[in-house]
Amino acid sequence: MTDGSCVQRAFFCFLQKMSAAKVKMREKKLRNQPASVQYASSSTQNGADTPATGGAGDGGPSTEKPKNAHQRSGWVRGHQKDGGGYVKEMPKYITAGAFARTRAAEVSAMLKAVSKTTGSCHLFETLPKHMRRRAMSHNTKRLPRRLRDLANRMREKSLLAGSKKKKEQPKSKSRKARRRHGNLLLEFNRRQRKNVWLETHIWHAKRFHVVKKWGYCLGDRPTYKCYRASYRAMSSHCLLQDLSYYCCIELQGEEQKLLASLSQLTSKEAGPTFAAALSLSGRRQGSVVVYKAGQYPSQPLGPVTFLWRPRVQGSTHRQLWIWAHPTIKKDLLPELQAVCQCYEAVLPPAVPVVTPAEVVPTLETEPKPEKTSDGKQVTGIKRKRTCKDASGPPAKKILGDGTRSPTTPVTWRSSPAGIVINDLTMEIVRYRLIGPQSHSVLAETLEAATDCDEIHKSQPSSLWWPEHCKDESKMNLHKQQADVYQILKGIYSTGELPSGAVLGLTVDDPRLTLPTKKVKALPCVKQAQEVDEEKRKELMLRGVPEHCCQSYLWEQSVRDNVTDNKISEQELNCMRSEVLVPGSRLSPTPLQGRVPILLVHQPGKQVGHEMSSWGAGWDLLLPKGWGMAFWVPLVYRGVRIGGLSMSLKHSQNKGAPHFPHDYPDCPAGVRFQEEQEAELLVKFKRRPPAKRTNYIKHGCLAPFRCPWQQLAEEWELIWREAKEEPKGNGQIQTTTEADTAMEEEMTLHRDMTVTTPQSHFTVLRNIKSLRLLSGWCRPTTSKGQRPCRVGQVPPLDRLAATSFLAAHGMSLVWVRLSLLSKGKPERHAVVCVPTAEDLQLLKKGPGSSGPQEPQHRDHFKSRIKRRKRGPKKAAASSAKAEGKEPDLPSASEPDPKSASEPNATTSEEPKSSSDLIFGLWPDPLPSVTSHCSRVTLGWVTQGDFSLSAGCGEALGFVSVVGLLNTLVNQPREHRGMFLLRNPASLHYRFAKINIEI
Amino acid sequence: MTEPRNPGMSSIPQTAPVHTDSTSPAVEMDPVEYTLRKRLPRKLPKRRNDVYVNMKTDFRAQLARCQKLLESGGHREICVHGLGLAINRAINIALQLQASSQGVLQLAANTSTVELVDDLEPEDPDEAGEPMTRTRNNSAIHIKVFYPDPQ
Repeated sequence: MTDGSCVQRAFFCFLQKMSAAKVKMREKKLRNQPASVQYASSSTQNGADTPATGGAGDGGPSTEKPKNAHQRSGWVRGHQKDGGGYVKEMPKYITAGAFARTRAAEVSAMLKAVSKTTGSCHLFETLPKHMRRRAMSHNTKRLPRRLRDLANRMREKSLLAGSKKKKEQPKSKSRKARRRHGNLLLEFNRRQRKNVWLETHIWHAKRFHVVKKWGYCLGDRPTYKCYRASYRAMSSHCLLQDLSYYCCIELQGEEQKLLASLSQLTSKEAGPTFAAALSLSGRRQGSVVVYKAGQYPSQPLGPVTFLWRPRVQGSTHRQLWIWAHPTIKKDLLPELQAVCQCYEAVLPPAVPVVTPAEVVPTLETEPKPEKTSDGKQVTGIKRKRTCKDASGPPAKKILGDGTRSPTTPVTWRSSPAGIVINDLTMEIVRYRLIGPQSHSVLAETLEAATDCDEIHKSQPSSLWWPEHCKDESKMNLHKQQADVYQILKGIYSTGELPSGAVLGLTVDDPRLTLPTKKVKALPCVKQAQEVDEEKRKELMLRGVPEHCCQSYLWEQSVRDNVTDNKISEQELNCMRSEVLVPGSRLSPTPLQGRVPILLVHQPGKQVGHEMSSWGAGWDLLLPKGWGMAFWVPLVYRGVRIGGLSMSLKHSQNKGAPHFPHDYPDCPAGVRFQEEQEAELLVKFKRRPPAKRTNYIKHGCLAPFRCPWQQLAEEWELIWREAKEEPKGNGQIQTTTEADTAMEEEMTLHRDMTVTTPQSHFTVLRNIKSLRLLSGWCRPTTSKGQRPCRVGQVPPLDRLAATSFLAAHGMSLVWVRLSLLSKGKPERHAVVCVPTAEDLQLLKKGPGSSGPQEPQHRDHFKSRIKRRKRGPKKAAASSAKAEGKEPDLPSASEPDPKSASEPNATTSEEPKSSSDLIFGLWPDPLPSVTSHCSRVTLGWVTQGDFSLSAGCGEALGFVSVVGLLNTLVNQPREHRGMFLLRNPASLHYRFAKINIEI
Repeated sequence: MTEPRNPGMSSIPQTAPVHTDSTSPAVEMDPVEYTLRKRLPRKLPKRRNDVYVNMKTDFRAQLARCQKLLESGGHREICVHGLGLAINRAINIALQLQASSQGVLQLAANTSTVELVDDLEPEDPDEAGEPMTRTRNNSAIHIKVFYPDPQ
């Protein structure tokens, strides 16, 4: 055998063994072969290597090829039968020169192929198997020395290639370029395209866990530990929150027309409406729950607060701000448009009252932006124009601007009624200060605006304040407002003021008086003793006089002027550096540094008898763009900052429902519940099944949501059954009887649901009914509760209950439950009716810990296991399973409900097999009321250890029917006693129910 | 004033008997129904040795707090304040302190009158008009508990 054929053979042997990918690589290598070299592909051509044909025998083999074509499928070795294998005659002589010459190219190609390394595998393949080590690729020292250099080189090459790939991807500008101001703003605008930032976002982003919610980026909770500190701040000093994400909707029009259209949205039965006298005068902020037009007890939209602008003399034109949570806005705005018949979208400058005069002609010359209703762009133009006119600093892009979709109109008007609706979202900054010291924080931060010099008064100015100073009546008003503000300083606690009071004010730029160090604002009652005692009393009794509630914040032109002419931080710092005494106040207040604001008092806890006016505070309303200018000075007065989670705790301590969480009948509340369920479910599924809580065993049907509709329906059925029963034996109906009634219910349930169209559940908000119910809940003798109030309520008996239920059959009622002894209620804990034996337990001692729920059995476990065993088996066993399944639950389950389930289980079989989750009930829930050994009344939506009450407290809803049924049957001394059980616990705790109004 | 409006208010006929039941005693008292909301009493700045006594906290806890202030707190004198119902308890605490000190502590009591503010909110919100505010007086006691000067 010659060299060449040897190489070829080895080569082809290899080829066969190699995988397809390697074949490809090999082919690539072959491409580099010199053209003169031929690789014959069959054994028969070995003959071509004979010296006779060696020199010029190139044509020979190719002519032979077709002859043996059928044999060339495989690689044949050894002697062939047909004799085709070897040419019998051996060459007699070899011409050395010619022989070498012909092989030279071949040899060089071979050498080249051997010396060239392509991949690491190639290198390691050169080692025999027994010398290969796993870590060789990382540590080249493990290789034999002769290969080390090669391996090093290859490693470097691969590293280089990897790093090159990585570097290519970001391909961004340098950090310096990225941090340049303009680029930074662009980047910020890009990042808030989806979720808008508040003005304090960057401040929050450095200190808070920021969540993306409702189209905003909002601070949820600080990164440092401050749960208790924040509570202390709320109850003894001051907690600050940024509530700018609340949406403000402005309504303008004739008072009568506005009231007429708004009255469709509310009902007098649920408390004061938009027309309440005190709110209408503008002296007080009001709050209502808004319903869909004319739908009062059903279809609520959610709670809103509102503020009327005080009347201007001799004009019936009124202005109203409605503040709503962003999740309501989507539902509320169309509803408002419907009741006011405002469908024509108008561009902002076309609003008659507020338009600065010089903008209108420019718009008329450019009809194009009007056509596309490109509102945002137009305002941008306007801003630039006014700035040029004012020859002020060049317009700066305000944070949060330009993020709203430019095609959305923000103003609508109706031509017949003359009502204009204006969406002022993100136009007004709203800060909330909670706590008894919040007004001393305000008093220290804000100073009433100083008057202008004579020189500035004389010459015309584009700024609003010098113009105002010229007007004597306006300055008088300002003086009166400043006086009222001075009196406020003399008050020790925010809770002493009339709730909901409003004060308009114009203040100096608070950055001018920024302290060099953080100081804690303390009340200065001593100093305020000089303030007239009479005036203080007047303020406490009468509240702020009506004309002092006026503020220029209501005027859009003033707002825009103030926003545009804000002094930048940089200019301010320049001015500071020129002050003679460092750290002192900037003495001549710059002309731009006056800001109109509104102060709105927030009442604290108003319901119930304990902790009254806890968490009272002030809301501070500012024009857009001034957010940070007021935020930092407030923070420097030693307030705590809270996020979303703290506002939840605030309302929880107040005993008030918090908006999206505790409004299960509102569309926003329903959406929130769905989101929460999905979130909790994902969290639950993240645990391995063996480490999960098995909620089925705990007898908890729906740990992640509250099936309110089902609860209301079931209780309504029970009540209807009880009504049909003869009254004689219904005198003392114990809970066990209720259970037996439930059994009948469940058998009836199926056809009932088909026949009667079920109405949707409602939340009881009728003040009178609530008051009645609250009286009934109270036990006649209890510490701290006056029996005189109970005297007003008619005694609770069957008749009264029946007539009450006739109106509120499908209702839920908001209750507060405080635990008698230990325990910390959690979200979605279940509220149950205690049996007679449980109440005996209570009689023994107040510290008794309550009964236990027997553990339930998980029938779904076997089903999940079977499914796991194999999908192919499942098909075979499904027929068997169907026969076996129905009797399984009834055999093990102590509850009566499952007896009526057989058809249900079989029907749900195909669906549930796909979405069974270990530890959770599959979707069609059995009866929720009678699932546990105690009858279920409702669920808890918020529960925690309450720092203000010093015990576990829970807030939630219970069914009115269930509540009354239980109350009627309970003995008088234990009236209002219920059981509470967490979803992941079997232990019931005694709790006292309270309905507070 | 409420009487004629009442049937119109209750849109659902079944609730009518219940409503008249609830309102009838109130009508005798007042032509328009009001809800009483008490505002907090006016607060004054508190020193470290001021103790405000209330009826919610456990008596023993409040007594212990006073004792702690006098003994380990390093105060020569403390002031015990009580308002209204808590006057009784404030006196009780002061006397207990004196008794437990074997007569070393002395008491000096002062009484005063505190003006309190109540808000009356009309239950029928719209036309009933202004919510009223009224003031009433309540008694208070301020007891100084102190170690007499050694001269």
